[in-house]
Amino acid sequence: MQITRRHFFGVMGAAGASVAVRPPTGHAWQSKAPPDPFGCLVDLTRCVGCRKCEEACAEVNGLPEPERVNCQCTIFEKDRRPDHDAYTVVNRYYTGKVDEFDKPVPTYAKVQCMHCQDPACVSACIVGALTKDETGTVRYDVTRCIGCRYCMVACPFEIPAYEYHDPITPKVMKCTFCYDRISKQGGVPGCATICPTEAITFGRRETLLEVAKKRLKENPARYLPHIYGEKEVGGTSWMYLSGVPFEQVNLPALPETPSPKLSETVQHSLFTYLWSPILLFGVLGGLMAWFNKNDNPPDKGGA
Amino acid sequence: MIKKIMVCACLIPFLAGVCTAEVWKAPDQEQARERAKETVPFIKEYKDDCQISRRICLMDAGISLDDVSTVYFLLDSPIIKEREDHYEPVRFAHKRHAALVDDCSKCHHFRPKDEDALETTRCSACHQDSFNPEYPERIGLKAAYHQQCMECHQQEAKGPVDCTGCHLKHVPDHKELVKLPDNPDPIQVTQACLECHDTQGEDMLKTAHWLWRGPSPYTTGHRKDILHGKGTTALNNF
Repeated sequence: MQITRRHFFGVMGAAGASVAVRPPTGHAWQSKAPPDPFGCLVDLTRCVGCRKCEEACAEVNGLPEPERVNCQCTIFEKDRRPDHDAYTVVNRYYTGKVDEFDKPVPTYAKVQCMHCQDPACVSACIVGALTKDETGTVRYDVTRCIGCRYCMVACPFEIPAYEYHDPITPKVMKCTFCYDRISKQGGVPGCATICPTEAITFGRRETLLEVAKKRLKENPARYLPHIYGEKEVGGTSWMYLSGVPFEQVNLPALPETPSPKLSETVQHSLFTYLWSPILLFGVLGGLMAWFNKNDNPPDKGGA
Repeated sequence: MIKKIMVCACLIPFLAGVCTAEVWKAPDQEQARERAKETVPFIKEYKDDCQISRRICLMDAGISLDDVSTVYFLLDSPIIKEREDHYEPVRFAHKRHAALVDDCSKCHHFRPKDEDALETTRCSACHQDSFNPEYPERIGLKAAYHQQCMECHQQEAKGPVDCTGCHLKHVPDHKELVKLPDNPDPIQVTQACLECHDTQGEDMLKTAHWLWRGPSPYTTGHRKDILHGKGTTALNNF
């Protein structure tokens, strides 16, 4: 018995030592971002708040017509978020900017899925219902989805919505980047096509970054010197230019590291070669054996 | 039989007259419509001037209001309609805008690099389809129109900034809407118009047509200071 226990400890010790010596991860975390994705550049200084993008989005994606399509009088009084009925919404913000007559100037900001380069939702999805496509689209496959809604928790922009009203076939709802259109030659998302002022510029992400830098350089007074989405959470396919601070138009300050980097590194280092469960159960086994040893002598003495 | 043929023969010119009366179209409107259908070759390179030097250039070239060759444009380009067609075309009074703005460089902000080209070109020569990957910083024609018009209308606090302010609305047949006596006098006609178009009536009171002063493209260069009249002393200056 004692030999067995000693033998057991020996084996466990050796196993633990070998795992401890070995580097915890086989390889460092690597970005899985597509090399040349499409993107959109939203220029908030150009947006006039006509909400045509909402209308076009609903039409292209077969969603119900947006609330008060042709009337902008009261719709902006509430702060709206994309939901199961709308992949994109435009909000109005008064940021303290005034014109030459001291009249407050509104800034309109469209919000939709940012199609991150390294999406947290894709990383969080346990069944692979969400994937990052070569075109840059974060695609959703309803046939795989089990409705766990981890994507909704993971998204740093709080974009995915859920059809709570539909108990039988609920879907996660978020911007599709009009995949069916942009995957075809010359295709443009519905919102970018309809935008009257080209506040939404569609193109390759690299090209858009150049365009954005050119605009910042040529009009330094018009813009803040920052491209939102160039580096936020490792870069996003949708990027913003603004003349007012981004936090004020509901674009939160986010770290430059992609969200999946931390979570995946933790996960991968914990579970490489199953060292952590082996160690855990080894220690538990050891403790059990030790307590058994302590318990046994009085039993023997009593007998 | 001959009588019948005679009657028919007599009726033909009358019927033809009725038909032509129905299809009569305003010649300037038709001309503008034809012009709107044209597309011009894309200008790839432009001379990158700042607005001030551009303005000086245009002044040096001696371009004035008299050089405005087209008074009226219908903005209905097939370049825009190719992608989407949601709104009716915009009627753009070119000469009137030129007279009001009095600075051609506001819209004709760049010129083609080709020295032989005209100093002023159409919008659609440089601004064509949106999101051209070869010229990513060049905005499309629709965005060029909207940015240019809306920005100026906002800055000058003049001119419409809403959709239907510029885009033609679908006009219903007024034959059904307006009921007038057989031989109406002008006052009756105006009254019938104002029954629905009261805001237009009030707007009209702010124009040169009513005030007898203010810019008008047709009187440029022929304007004289008017001491009397509706705009000043309300004395009739006939």
